[in-house]
Amino acid sequence: MKFKIKTNLVSGILMGLFSIFLLVTMPQQIRVPAFDSGAPSPRIIPMICTVLMLVFSVVLIIQSLVFKKEKVVEFDWQKEKPAIILILALCVYVALIIYIGYVLASIIIFCLVLFYCGERKWYMFVYTIVAAVLIYFLFKKVFLINLPSGLLPF
Amino acid sequence: MTDFQMIMQALPQVFSLANIGMILIGLVIGMIVGCIPGLSVTLGIILMLPLTYTFDDPATAIILLLAVYVGGMYGGSISAITLNTPGTNSAIATTFDGYPLAKKGKVKKALDVSLFASVFGGLFSAILLLVCASLITKLVAGFTTVEYFSMGILGISLIAGVSGDSLPKSIISGMIGLLMACVGMDAVTGVTRMAYGLNTLKYGIDMLPAMIALIALTQVVMKLRDFKVSGGKLDDASKIDKEGITRKEAKKILPACLRSSAVASVLGAMPGVGGGVAQFLCYNEARRTSKHPEEFGKGALEGIAAAESSNNAVVGSAMIPMLTLGIPGDGVTALLMSAFILHGITPGPTMFTKQGVMAYTVILGCLVANILLAPIGLGMTRGVAKIVQVKYTYLAPVIIMFCFAGAFAATGNTKELVLCAAILIFSYVLTLLDISNTPLMLGMILEKIMESNFVSASMAYDRDYTIFLRRPISAVILILTIVLLVSMMRVNKRIETLNAQQEAEMAAEHAKMDEPESSAAN
Repeated sequence: MKFKIKTNLVSGILMGLFSIFLLVTMPQQIRVPAFDSGAPSPRIIPMICTVLMLVFSVVLIIQSLVFKKEKVVEFDWQKEKPAIILILALCVYVALIIYIGYVLASIIIFCLVLFYCGERKWYMFVYTIVAAVLIYFLFKKVFLINLPSGLLPF
Repeated sequence: MTDFQMIMQALPQVFSLANIGMILIGLVIGMIVGCIPGLSVTLGIILMLPLTYTFDDPATAIILLLAVYVGGMYGGSISAITLNTPGTNSAIATTFDGYPLAKKGKVKKALDVSLFASVFGGLFSAILLLVCASLITKLVAGFTTVEYFSMGILGISLIAGVSGDSLPKSIISGMIGLLMACVGMDAVTGVTRMAYGLNTLKYGIDMLPAMIALIALTQVVMKLRDFKVSGGKLDDASKIDKEGITRKEAKKILPACLRSSAVASVLGAMPGVGGGVAQFLCYNEARRTSKHPEEFGKGALEGIAAAESSNNAVVGSAMIPMLTLGIPGDGVTALLMSAFILHGITPGPTMFTKQGVMAYTVILGCLVANILLAPIGLGMTRGVAKIVQVKYTYLAPVIIMFCFAGAFAATGNTKELVLCAAILIFSYVLTLLDISNTPLMLGMILEKIMESNFVSASMAYDRDYTIFLRRPISAVILILTIVLLVSMMRVNKRIETLNAQQEAEMAAEHAKMDEPESSAAN
């Protein structure tokens, strides 16, 4: 499955919608303080940024539709599938770190990732497990940062 | 204290055991990440950044990161020569002559020339940095918050204008960066901004997890994707022989080194140019002035020297606007600047008055890193070149584990991991839309500085926003922004077409060289 993405048009529309969303929600999301401290409103900079974003999104759409200036990127599902699967795997990894701890999550996810990448040699998996444990203790003992230990007692 | 006194005080600090050790470690790590195609120097710096949290002295932290930068710029040439694949973007021009020379079996000679030129270029610009830094800071000593805000505008618009090929897209990317930095508690009024009721966003988006997701994780995922798509094939690397460069050859390439170091230093000091652009200009210049222009592209030592001294010369000179004005020139310096901020220091002229000794320790550290690159390069290149031959499945899991551990280390809260994953998805969408994330990164870094200066300036002038145009220096800076933006975009476009031409030309030349060999093999 392959399809072409007109990046100027699509980014213009997506970013335009995003900035409109931000503009609409801004009064609710950034409340002006009740008293005047003499400081400028906390809305000024976000407001300027969002308006500029909207303006340039419109510029992109005009570039694409009126001036036919477009950069087309081909989206090849065969090529992008691994990337999407890997990103999803990393999202699951984050959830696992929170629930079962850093070491176990690393072992589970990266053994699966290696298997997916076509690795079948046993020592690669041992290597990954050792690496996960080593990094955990490197952070704990040397940098004094306790990564989430989760189910493991240490 | 005069500058000289500060330099004298900084000297013993640079040569402390910790600093020298960090420089050595940094150089080796830099060479490794620089050498592996697909992993950039930026990634190396991001991986090291969380580790520097535990350092007491911010100078040591910055020196380590600088050493990674210096090592990485040389490391890029190793794979450029042995594999014909540049390890970093700034080593593309090195393949022009490095690979043909390697084909002739003179790998060691090519590597030595590259090392010699790298050290030369690096030293040249580090000395320039040492000399210029105090001069520029004296020039801008009269700046107030009004001018600093205008400088911030200058910085961000230059990068947006120069990086990537579509101006609207770069500006949008920069604005997203600014907005991302706005999320969370506002430092002045204490209002929560754009948290959308999520606890993860309430305390803001920390810089480190964002950088890790935007740069490091995105890169590793893309590289792992390519690994999966290609089935894990490795390129053949040329073997390294024993014959290095002779003194006579070193003397011959000296003029080329000197010329491109000078050109690259000037270019590197301009925000938004960087090593990627400078190398082609220097290569072209070396070819134009050479006595044997016909040898270029067929393994001319001068060609390698020009390309390599230019990309290392950029390291020092790109630090000039960052240290003296607080404007990062490209992605790498932006990261170095965020390292300063993470350690509680704001780069700019005040750094030279308030923390002068530290500023000079960093500059001298850069100098020493370039000197030490020579022995490290001679001793380690063979080993580092072997790492390129290591399968990527060994590296990727470790890098990713390190990234997440590093993101967690930023605040010690698991929300950083959630942010990392979310930003990774966002960054992938940006890649699909062909939006560069360099302006985004820069926006995130500059927002805090811009907003704090904006707030104090407008409080000082009772919310009179015209002050940014009425104060003469500030007005000049803003006008300069527009002038520079327009002229640099033009220059960049011209250089880009030139580069594309040159690259195509060289690819054709290399293909011609490969042809007789493959037909002989058949």
